Amino acid sequence: MSWAADVTALCSERFGIEEFGAEGPLVSREQLVDLATALKNELDYIYFVYVVSVHYPEEAAIPADEEKGTEAVPGKPDCTLVHWRVRRMPDGERPTDTFAFRCFVPTGETCPSLSKVWTGADWQEREQFDLVGTVFEDHPDLRRIMMPEDWVGHPLRRDYAIETQHFPWR
Amino acid sequence: MGNDKPNQSFERPLFDYMEKMPGADIALTTSEKLLSWGSENSLWVFPMATSCCGIEFMAAACGRFDLDRIGTVARGTPRQCDVMVIAGTITVKMAPRVKKLWDMMPEPKWAIAMGSCAISGDFYRNIYSVVPGVDTFMPVDVYVPGCPPNPDHLMEGFRRLQDKIRAKRNGEWTEPETRPVMGMQMPSIPRYGSPDRHEVYDEAQLMAAMNIDPDGGLLKEGVELPQLPPPPVEEPAEADADPGDT
Repeated sequence: MSWAADVTALCSERFGIEEFGAEGPLVSREQLVDLATALKNELDYIYFVYVVSVHYPEEAAIPADEEKGTEAVPGKPDCTLVHWRVRRMPDGERPTDTFAFRCFVPTGETCPSLSKVWTGADWQEREQFDLVGTVFEDHPDLRRIMMPEDWVGHPLRRDYAIETQHFPWR
Repeated sequence: MGNDKPNQSFERPLFDYMEKMPGADIALTTSEKLLSWGSENSLWVFPMATSCCGIEFMAAACGRFDLDRIGTVARGTPRQCDVMVIAGTITVKMAPRVKKLWDMMPEPKWAIAMGSCAISGDFYRNIYSVVPGVDTFMPVDVYVPGCPPNPDHLMEGFRRLQDKIRAKRNGEWTEPETRPVMGMQMPSIPRYGSPDRHEVYDEAQLMAAMNIDPDGGLLKEGVELPQLPPPPVEEPAEADADPGDT
């Protein structure tokens, strides 16, 4: 998917983002709120489509093996990939289009909330907190939205024990 | 289900319960029979419709199939209802709400588990958040299998329930409905009617249901539910001394 020229220009000039790719650029957590504010106020991305997050468990580094001829693979920390997508409406000659951006959040740290920028992000961030356990900083009301109130754990994490019993219902 | 009694018209089912006096405009019956007739033909339904079986229930209640013909009226409050039709998947979050609504219904009351999700959880049964069958927390009188069952099947379930009510009012013994076998693992909570069902389960489920706030959420955080007593510890048999393992 190709991104609109004005949004790639804004990202590379102001935030120093070079690689865009098919899934959107990787943004650091410090730039996130500034980027979101610029997207909404200057480029008219007024509609918040989704925020999803995926948990990646820790992966150990694989050293290079000269006998087999394989290269070294760097390990990955235990982290969560958060992925946003926003849309703007058609205006004159410009068709409607979307823009997506991503951010890696290490487990145990927080991600800035975009619910101050787009109000539609409020409940979706609550859903991501409920199911994946992504903690959004400065969220106005971060509590469970889908699972029961007394549920323990976040079920879509890779390390969640799926056979967990929930006395006295299951 | 037809009328197997001769000389009695299916269109006038009241004559199953009373005897017309020849040559006079009088019919005789007993008050018990009349009450039984009224009871089984005015089943007001509380539709606990949570998913696609609810759509089939709506189809059954609408004009083409017309459940109203047998006196069932869907009502919005459990306090006015005789039958709860559980139509759909019940999750762990929904289960205490269903239990609370079931406890609100006045006696005598009956329950129909409609569809394989309400009977066993069906293909959602191994998901962490789905209750494997509503009979793990409330008694069920009639099982209507299907995924989803037709309106005809639901109608037939209501006829079976009417038979059951009639037999109960007559003081006859009816066999409990056999649960359709669906080839699933045993749930960790024993079902109603199972010999393994400990009274602690009833107590804990009642307490958890009463802890639900009608405005959403819980009345009290971190309520302590009664737990099963630990299994009796068997004295371990004296292990043979293994000289090699020292």
